[in-house]
Amino acid sequence: MKADVEPRPGAASLKEAGEVLLSVEGVSLSFGGVRALRDVSFDIRKGEIRAIIGPNGAGKTSMLNVINGFYHPQQGVITFKGKRRHDMRPYLAASQGIARTFQNVALFKGMSTLDNIMTGRTLKMRRGILAQAIYWGVSQREEIRHREAVEHIIDFLEIKHIRKTPVGKLPYGLQKRVELGRALATEPDLLLLDEPMAGMNLEEKQDMSRFILTVNDTFSTTIALIEHDMGVVMDLSDRVVVLDYGQKIADGRPDEVQKDQKVIDAYLGIPH
Amino acid sequence: MLYREAGQFKTSYAADMAVFPIRQDRIALGVVLAVAYLLVPLLDLLHVWPFGSDYLLRAILVPFLILSLGAIGVNILMGYCGQISLGSGAFMAIGAYSAYKFGTGVHLPLEWLGTAISIPPLPVLPSILLGGLMAAVVGILFGIPSLRIKGLYLAVATLAAQFFFDWVFIRVKWFTNYTPSGSVNAPELKFFGLLVESPIERYLLCLVFVTVFAVIAKNLVRGNLGRQWMAMRDMDIAAELMGIRPLYAKLTAFAVSSFIVGVAGSLWAFVYLGSWEPLAFNIDRSFQLLFMVIIGGLGSILGSFLGAAFILILPILLDQVPHALGVPVSVETVSLSVLIITGALICYLLIVEPLGFARLWSIGKEKLRLWPYPY
Amino acid sequence: MEVFGQVLEVLIGGLLSGVLYSLVALGFVLIFKASGVFNFAQGAMVLLAGLALVRSLDFLAARGAPVWAAVILGLVFAGVIMAVTAWLVERFVLGPLVNQDGLTLFMSTIGATFVLEGASQMIFGSDVYPLRLFPTDAWFLFESVFPGGILVNKLDVWGGLIAGVLVAGLAIFFQSTKTGRALRAVADDHAAAQSVGIPISWIWFVVWLVAGLVALVAATVWGTKLGVQFSITFLALKALPVLIIGGFTSVPGAIVGGLIVGAGEKLAEVYLGPHMGGGIEYWFAYVLALAVLLVRPQGLFGERLIERI
Repeated sequence: MKADVEPRPGAASLKEAGEVLLSVEGVSLSFGGVRALRDVSFDIRKGEIRAIIGPNGAGKTSMLNVINGFYHPQQGVITFKGKRRHDMRPYLAASQGIARTFQNVALFKGMSTLDNIMTGRTLKMRRGILAQAIYWGVSQREEIRHREAVEHIIDFLEIKHIRKTPVGKLPYGLQKRVELGRALATEPDLLLLDEPMAGMNLEEKQDMSRFILTVNDTFSTTIALIEHDMGVVMDLSDRVVVLDYGQKIADGRPDEVQKDQKVIDAYLGIPH
Repeated sequence: MLYREAGQFKTSYAADMAVFPIRQDRIALGVVLAVAYLLVPLLDLLHVWPFGSDYLLRAILVPFLILSLGAIGVNILMGYCGQISLGSGAFMAIGAYSAYKFGTGVHLPLEWLGTAISIPPLPVLPSILLGGLMAAVVGILFGIPSLRIKGLYLAVATLAAQFFFDWVFIRVKWFTNYTPSGSVNAPELKFFGLLVESPIERYLLCLVFVTVFAVIAKNLVRGNLGRQWMAMRDMDIAAELMGIRPLYAKLTAFAVSSFIVGVAGSLWAFVYLGSWEPLAFNIDRSFQLLFMVIIGGLGSILGSFLGAAFILILPILLDQVPHALGVPVSVETVSLSVLIITGALICYLLIVEPLGFARLWSIGKEKLRLWPYPY
Repeated sequence: MEVFGQVLEVLIGGLLSGVLYSLVALGFVLIFKASGVFNFAQGAMVLLAGLALVRSLDFLAARGAPVWAAVILGLVFAGVIMAVTAWLVERFVLGPLVNQDGLTLFMSTIGATFVLEGASQMIFGSDVYPLRLFPTDAWFLFESVFPGGILVNKLDVWGGLIAGVLVAGLAIFFQSTKTGRALRAVADDHAAAQSVGIPISWIWFVVWLVAGLVALVAATVWGTKLGVQFSITFLALKALPVLIIGGFTSVPGAIVGGLIVGAGEKLAEVYLGPHMGGGIEYWFAYVLALAVLLVRPQGLFGERLIERI
């Protein structure tokens, strides 16, 4: 990979170490009379893939929104990289290394794939407005450097053929891939994926799973993943948190959680 | 066959990211620049048609250039930041009157501090740039609240600015150096020792300004800042998560846009009008710039030029063509027809091609790429 | 007592002129409530209605028709013109743009404004046409309490009464009728409304027709006050502060906003104006709206928009 990106210790060794990257303690969130989250606590360890599952309306997206700072919980503490906070702000989350994809793709519809992913490099682009106005010289060199990094991501996600296409014109599955690319461009420590496989067919899901695993494995990016497809959850994740009506009802390895009676009652049902 | 990309492979990112990656486009640009910088002055010197009289220069080319510059400024705010501006006239006025004050010497008594700010008259170029700076400062002030409120905020704020500054430049006599009539004369246009007076000199001056600012605008728009602007326009909530600071993005858009519009205002007053009163920058001017941007294409530098050309030429066409055909047409009919056609065109473009002439232009180029094949 | 009387006079005058602003703002609220579109062309519609009315009145009066007949026929004629306009706007402007975002629709109404302004003057003429449908003389109230009495313009009072009736009618319409509900659905989400079978084209035609009739009513009052002329279109601009203060989707908000703007303007002009060189009226309403926007973006009665990701 580019010299820009620091080489990190392999994911396997990180997972073994079990160091906590993010933890939420006693987080409660309400909107008016609706209680979206009730006293939820769990942690995410460095290098792991953590799945967050549960029925619709359980508060999964709200949890992600709390982690990256869109929602501010009424109660609770978020600890990221050792720093304890009562709430997060989006800019702070971004500068600390948290990236995110959204349930209903939140791409910049008026821009091309390339430009969308380039926006992910914003925090790393240091040249001021005057340099940009002149362009030739330092600003151009910086632009080229980051373009190279972005092209690697485009290669990796196999979206070369659509790099100049305005994203509004892309089919849903490809949009989700571009959104992943945009999140990857920020070189995050923690990647939050909100239903990355939603609306995809089997082949697309396999591709997406492959990408997620590679990102986790090669770059040791910690991943938190909301997903409904239990097959994907079983295959990909190291540990699972189950939410229901805003409360945590299970937390553990996928095979443990799958057998938990509370989880079966609330969400999984019995195979028949 | 003419307009082909085949064979033009880009071997570096720099080449791919160039403004005009296709060779034919670069040639076209070269032709346009050659015509603008060389052919026009040459024809004027020789008094060859269409430069037999200086009408074309004085009444069409100079205002076209200055209004294009204004349109570029408004386009940055509207097209790249997705906010509607109804008060660009006021920012032109701020630029013009500030430049005027800097050019004629600023004396601001501050009794409560027991002192006074006194600046001697500055040369024209710094005055114009400082005028732009003043406009940028006011633009930033108006931009600050835009963070909290979206949508119609800018429309209301710019409208408030328009009417407020209309009033300021009439009532606050300090700005007009207490002239009895309320109208002011531009200072002498001396740039680096050269006096700019004749139409061709004014034209070249405006051409230089426009070229420089168009290049700057294009550079900003295709770089990191431009992407930040567009991200804020498309989905500001997600933009924040990319590390884009909404305040910085919004305020730079206001600042850059207002600066350019302010400079355009100074040029309009100094180079085109010569002497002016606040009416020159009233709400009609704001709407004029608005239409140029909508018709030319939101979010397109080229579109700013196309829109300006259209708005400027339409009334002239509607006036001259019937006359040439021998059909008498009153001034009133012409101005009413302009209203109807402009309005109808806006509706039509919004339905058919919301990105205006600029998009039609690039669609045309696409077709040209394939020509003579249909697809 | 005399000072209080003066203040009262200015205040009442301001409130009444504010009601006249509300008349124009009502048309905006109607269309915004029903289609989510801010109809910049409302001012031009007032002009068109006014021109159609006054020109047909003059035409009939010149032919010797009795006043009452001329007025009725004139109103009918203007109403028909507004209906035709509503149909044309729906067919050629709004219809093709259904499902587009608010900004695009707003800009299309700017385009429509200019077409209407140009066309109405081309067809009906561009002079100033005086209109005399209401008494315009002064009324002196409370002469026993305040020396000289409080000066109140009868026209303004008529305007207030008419506005009151309109507001009551519109409020009932939106809350209680099936069509009113359908309108609110359309304003919320065009595509969703269509998918439950609401006939958008018909709804929009109805809305614009009603807004056109509201414009006609506004034209009768404003035309009497100022004469029917091009500058009436600038009322559209004044309505923006009224709506910001009152809330875009609220019929009572339009009234309250109008009152605040009207009274605020007059009071500012009379009491602040002399200290600032006069002419404050020109921009006061807009600056006031800006201030309200900063403090309470949805206006006094409007609905808060919540964005969800």
